[in-house]
Amino acid sequence: MTLRVLLVDDHPMWRDGVRADLERLGAAEVVGEASDGGEAIELVAEHMPDVVLMDLQLPTVGGVDATRRIAEAAPHVKVLVLSASAEEADVLEAVKAGAAGYLLKSATSEEVADAVRRVAAGEPVFTASLAGLVLDEFRRIAADAEPAEPRLTPRENEVLKLVAKGYTYPEIAERLFISVKTVQNHVQNILTKLQLKRRYELMRYAIQRGLDREPEE
Amino acid sequence: MKAPQPDPELERTARLLAVGVLVFRWVAFAWMVVLAVTRGQPFAHPALAASALAAIGGWTAWLTLARAHDHPFAPVGDLLLATGLVLVSGVVVEERTLLIGTPFFASAYPVAAILVWGAARGPVAGGLVGLVLGAALVAARPLNGVPLGDLGAEQVQGLASSAVIFVTAGIATGVVSRVLARSAEHVRAATERAARLAERESLARRIHDSVLQSLAMIHKRGRELASEGPVAPGQVLHLAELAAEQERELRALVVREAEAAPEGMVSLRAALEREAASHDPAVEVSAVGPIWLPARRAEELAAAVRQGLENVRAHAGASRTTVYAEAEDGWITVSVRDDGRGFTYDEAALRRDGKLGLLASIKGRVEELGGELRVDTAPGRGTELELRVPEEGP
Repeated sequence: MTLRVLLVDDHPMWRDGVRADLERLGAAEVVGEASDGGEAIELVAEHMPDVVLMDLQLPTVGGVDATRRIAEAAPHVKVLVLSASAEEADVLEAVKAGAAGYLLKSATSEEVADAVRRVAAGEPVFTASLAGLVLDEFRRIAADAEPAEPRLTPRENEVLKLVAKGYTYPEIAERLFISVKTVQNHVQNILTKLQLKRRYELMRYAIQRGLDREPEE
Repeated sequence: MKAPQPDPELERTARLLAVGVLVFRWVAFAWMVVLAVTRGQPFAHPALAASALAAIGGWTAWLTLARAHDHPFAPVGDLLLATGLVLVSGVVVEERTLLIGTPFFASAYPVAAILVWGAARGPVAGGLVGLVLGAALVAARPLNGVPLGDLGAEQVQGLASSAVIFVTAGIATGVVSRVLARSAEHVRAATERAARLAERESLARRIHDSVLQSLAMIHKRGRELASEGPVAPGQVLHLAELAAEQERELRALVVREAEAAPEGMVSLRAALEREAASHDPAVEVSAVGPIWLPARRAEELAAAVRQGLENVRAHAGASRTTVYAEAEDGWITVSVRDDGRGFTYDEAALRRDGKLGLLASIKGRVEELGGELRVDTAPGRGTELELRVPEEGP
């Protein structure tokens, strides 16, 4: 079965290039293209693609917001962020908002095609630099000593550190004498905790503001 | 003063004003002592006069020695002391002598209170304090046994002009200090703007010098190639390389250093990103936070990483290289990891064969920083160099 992909980027040339790459490599069928976040949300509802390839710098509704709303409205649709390297703080926000993976725009066509396949198969796609940012997030939680907030287990910390050092999942599996599947599960749990952390942040923010109603979107 | 954030220019102005007022206090105090000693006739209440002088001396000494001009109690204490002095001026001298002479204790020192209030709280506060002291001056007459009704036109005029001088002095000090504060603010804003402009200009120049020129060249060459029909792969590759080089340049320009650096510190992450940006093939940098280090330590580590990357380029045949950095428990860990061909790490054997090369010099740098180098490699398994150095040390 061919994977169905939605491309979201405000540069038509970029979309053309990615579409040609994916189709040439037989990795996926592009079912739609959106040039901003609002359009992306509509097209996801219309086509229910397997994977959304999402840029973050978008006019009107930004990529982080669009990711959050797609993750809420259609949790089975995987969002793979494809973004430039200087926007890593945004990438972290996107992952907290529910993105399943992240890839640099300088990645080769093969790497993009491979990432689409892996994300669709439920495998979290992570870059080393993003892992560094995530480690930083969790270290800050530990320093803040908020007992209710999610933390990493020593094993998760070990796995994340190896990802940050540039090791692939199979390499990590071999080093830690565990299966590749277990490594993926650890990474998935780390992502889930990161998304939980965002909810804690929203809650704490609401409490600090003295609001006890649902935060409005 | 309204600005709660410390502004060096404003603080300097405030400090200068405070010093000026202090000098004024000492001169006024000395003048009172001179008057008291050289006075022809005895005081009506010598003990009161002496303790009033002692109070002024003590107050001035406290303000000077404790640098207490911005103590919250200082302005209030000044106001109380000044009002007291003006009232006492009617009591210490013989009854009914205020009719003719200048009030002895009210002459100079109380003006300090007016200056302080005007400078710190503005023209309105300065004027009000002047008014209070003017009223005290009037009240000193009856205290001296001179009913106000007994004052002649000339004495009323003298009294009124003293009061007017008090009020005007307060307002004037207030206005002057406001103007000073505002111009200090202007100077600061202008300096900042100039710095921002200069930075933008240098950025624009750098972009223009290399990035824009290369883009124009890529554009022109691209069009020429397109019009020439079938193109040799080498020519396209050349264009791609040109674009890649400019991408790296631009990236190095926008390398983040958003967080404010602590005094004398630089971000190790930024230093490593600069190393990576100038290296080919692309190297990914992954850091846990900005990692602030003394400039020299960061430079030494970056130089060691540069040699590590050099080694990867020369020997590894890697497709991916990652530089990782973190700070934990007082130690910095930096790793250079590649997925290349790896080797058998046997330091003695490598040294004997003269193949230790760059590794030896990396090891040397790390040991000079009080740290150690770990090499994790095996044939076909890639290589990880792990540099561990203390955050502080040699």
